[in-house]
Formats: sequence, C-alpha cells, structure tokens
Amino acid sequence: MLDSRLGILGLLSDAGVVVLMVLSVLLSFSIISWAIIAYKFGYLRKSLRESKAFLDYFFEVYNIDKVFTESENFRHGSLPRVFRSGYIEYRALGDKGDIRLARARIARAVKREVNAENKRLSALVPFLATVSNTAPFIGLFGTVWGIMNSFHTIGLTQSASLAAVAPGISEALIATAAGLAAAIPAVIAYNSFTHKIGVIERDLEEFSPEFVAAFINEP
Amino acid sequence: MKKGQKLPYAEKKFSLWLIGAAAMHVFVLFLAVSFQLWDAGRHPKPKIVTVTLVSSPGSATSREYSDHESAAGVVEAPSPAVAPPPPVSKKSVKEPVPEKSPVIEKKIAIEPLKPKVVEKKPDINQALLRLKENVDKKTAQLPKPATTNLSNALDRLQQKVKSSGEGAGTGSGRGQASSSAGRNGVGRGSGGGGTADSYKAKIASIIQQNWAFSKQLLKNSYGMEVYVRINIVADGTIRQILYDKRAPSEYLNNSVKKALEKSSPLPVLPKEEGARDVWIGFVFTPEGIE
Repeated sequence: MLDSRLGILGLLSDAGVVVLMVLSVLLSFSIISWAIIAYKFGYLRKSLRESKAFLDYFFEVYNIDKVFTESENFRHGSLPRVFRSGYIEYRALGDKGDIRLARARIARAVKREVNAENKRLSALVPFLATVSNTAPFIGLFGTVWGIMNSFHTIGLTQSASLAAVAPGISEALIATAAGLAAAIPAVIAYNSFTHKIGVIERDLEEFSPEFVAAFINEP
Repeated sequence: MKKGQKLPYAEKKFSLWLIGAAAMHVFVLFLAVSFQLWDAGRHPKPKIVTVTLVSSPGSATSREYSDHESAAGVVEAPSPAVAPPPPVSKKSVKEPVPEKSPVIEKKIAIEPLKPKVVEKKPDINQALLRLKENVDKKTAQLPKPATTNLSNALDRLQQKVKSSGEGAGTGSGRGQASSSAGRNGVGRGSGGGGTADSYKAKIASIIQQNWAFSKQLLKNSYGMEVYVRINIVADGTIRQILYDKRAPSEYLNNSVKKALEKSSPLPVLPKEEGARDVWIGFVFTPEGIE
C-alpha cells in the first residue's frame, strides 16, 4: 500500500483542483511534444540523409532517366521528391519544341513541390515553440494559485509556522516543475529541428534550378 | 492521390509515437514513485513518539531536576504529604487537581521502560504559571508550626523568595536542589544534591554513551533542545520518561527516548537517596547532554 503522503503521489493527492488541471494540461503538452520530437527526429534525419545521397548520385550520373529510377530508392528525401515531380512534369509535356514553355511548366511543378515539402518539413514544429513558450507560464499560474490557497489556509489556521506553510508551497511548486519539464525538451528540439529544416530548405532553393536545367538540357 | 495515400500513413505513424510518448510518461512516473518507495525503504522514517508535557511543581521525589530557566534554588520538601500535581494540559486548562490525580496513578502503574504517553501540547509558561498558583495555594494551607527541619527550611526559603521577588533562593540543604516551579522560584523539592551530583554525572555519561545521534542529520540546530525528566526507582530502573520540552526534530526526540530506554537499568540509587525514587532532569542538545 502506497503511503499517500509519500513524494509525488502525496503532492498530487493534496493538490487543489486548479493545480491538478494545470498539471493535466502540462502532462498532455509534454506527451504531444515528445511524440512530435520522436516523429520529427526520424523524419528530418531520413530526409537529410537521403537528400545528400541523392545529390551525390545526381551529379555523378547525367542521365535523368537513371536518376529518376534511382530516386525511387529515396522515398523520404525532400530533394528526390522535388526531382520526381519535375521529371513527371517533363515527361508529361507533349511538345518539347517550345523550350520557354517547357521550362516554365517544369519550374512551376518544381516550385509547387518545394512549397509542399517545406510545409511537410515544418508541420507540427510550431507546437514545440508554443509549448516551450507557454508551459513555464502555465506552471507558474498553477504555482501562484497553489500558494494563494496556501496563504488562505494559513490565515484560517492562524499559524505561520514552517510546518503549516511549507506543504502548501511544496504542492504548488510541483506545477512550475512540471511546466519546466515540459518546456525544456521542447525548446531543445525546436532549435534542433529549425536548424535542420533550414538546411534542407536551402538545399531545395539552390538545387531546384539545377533540376529544371537538367530536364531542359537533356540530350 | 499520392499525397492522399501518404497522409494517413504519416498520421498513423504520429499516432503510434503519441501512444509511445504516453507510455513513456507513465513509465517515468512509475519509475519516480518506485524510486521514492525504494529510497524511503532505505531510510526508514523514525518512529514518531508522542510524549507528555508535564510540569510538576517539584514533588518530594523530584529533587534532582534542575530547571534551566529558573535559578537553581535549594528548596526542601515540607512533607511527603504534598503529592505531585497532575500534568497540566493545554487542552484542558482547568483547576488543577489538588492531590493525586488518576492520570498520575495510571502512569505509575505502567511497566518500567514503557511509560504511558499522553498527547499534549507543550505550553510551559502556562503550565508554570498554574503550578506557581498551585504551590502558593498549598503553601498557604501548610501548617505553620512545622516541627521538622524541612518545614522550617521551607518557611525560611519562602520568606526569602517573597522578599526578593523573582528568582530562586539559594539552598541550604545537602546540595543543589531542582525542580523549582517556574520563574518565581517557589519550588518544592528536597535538597540533597551532594551525592546525587556524582550519581547524576555517572548516569549522564551512561546515557551519553548510549545516545546514537548525528548532528549532521539535522537541517538546522535552532531550538534543538529536549528537556526530559526521568523517574528512577531504587534499583536503577527508569520508570517514567517525561518530556518537558520537545525539539522540533522528531529524530532528536526519538534518539533521546531510545538512549534512555537503552540505558535502563541505570546504576542502583545511592544509599543516601533511600528507597525512594528520584526524578532527574537532563537537557539534550545536539552538542551533548547538559
């Protein structure tokens, strides 16, 4: 049988309704944040790795048909996706005599895929920023509320001894601790993901014209 | 169409991660609680002992107890007829029972080393005030033409105390007495400390040896004093342990109780003490026994 006064369970059992609600919100924030962190970590790592491998192959082999075939092995990379969309548009062109028109259509298709890829890369990441910014304040709100109740109780009991003051403050401070526990991993992950997304976006901007040129200049 | 196929896959994957994150949080919470339980098992909480706060006016048997607040006045017991008054409780602040109270009787009937513990809130000042009134009342009821030397000495002492106001008188007995009741020093108790001082020093050293206490375990040493009285019967057994003032730390209070229990039986009372029991007071501080 667990002692109800023991540690975390004791603090939770003695906490007020508002503090419990704050803790619930922070717990859900933390769970969603960690799910996003795990999901995005794998997604961005694969995208970076496959984009790099695809670029190496692209500059090695000038035959776009071979490159397209090889790009099927890089399903998770951002650059291979953009290349495939351009290639599909290129092959859909009926009349390749008008180079200006062909270039414009291919460039439009590539740009559309770059935009879609940017959205895919940055999806869910703003939630990490929200958690990292708001979780400490939500926790602080719970703490302030708990301390407010604690002082109210002190006033009722007419005792300001440490034994009367400390438990209430201790229960209230768990909200701040929970807020920080939710916010710190979110901040770290947000900064890391923002950096990786920035790297991929720069690659997309720089190499998209290369892809268009490769289609147009195909022998 | 291609995008439409991938989105559910991404959502499904994210849902899996969501479930995984929830499971991770449950696991972390479980680990934290388990660690606390394990840690609590490693360092078991000291047993909380509720002790009695009894301030006696200085009975005939409490000759060695020295109150730290009042000066050590040498007083002599007028007669054994004056029984120790009942312990004063904060909760039941009523007129003290003049003679033997049922509570005291119950305590004396208890087995040695297992003193009856009554939960009370310490309020020394109030208790001392009441005891002073009690003693004054009893002193007025005492027969004036005392025939014994003890009664004469008490009368002299009372006159001296009344003339000098506060404070305690100096003793004229065999030694230093104790248990002067309160700040006014109107105490009752017999003198006779010469032999008893050596006995007290002896048992103090015994208790000190049996006292398992570490100062480092206290977060602060402010107010860490335990005023305790023990009732020793003729064969040296500690019959009763009374706390006059408890320390804020239960660890210190319990360590004192364990030390006293471990020290029992103490050496046999000196012959000068007769066959009666004695009350001896000690002050336990983190620095040692005073």
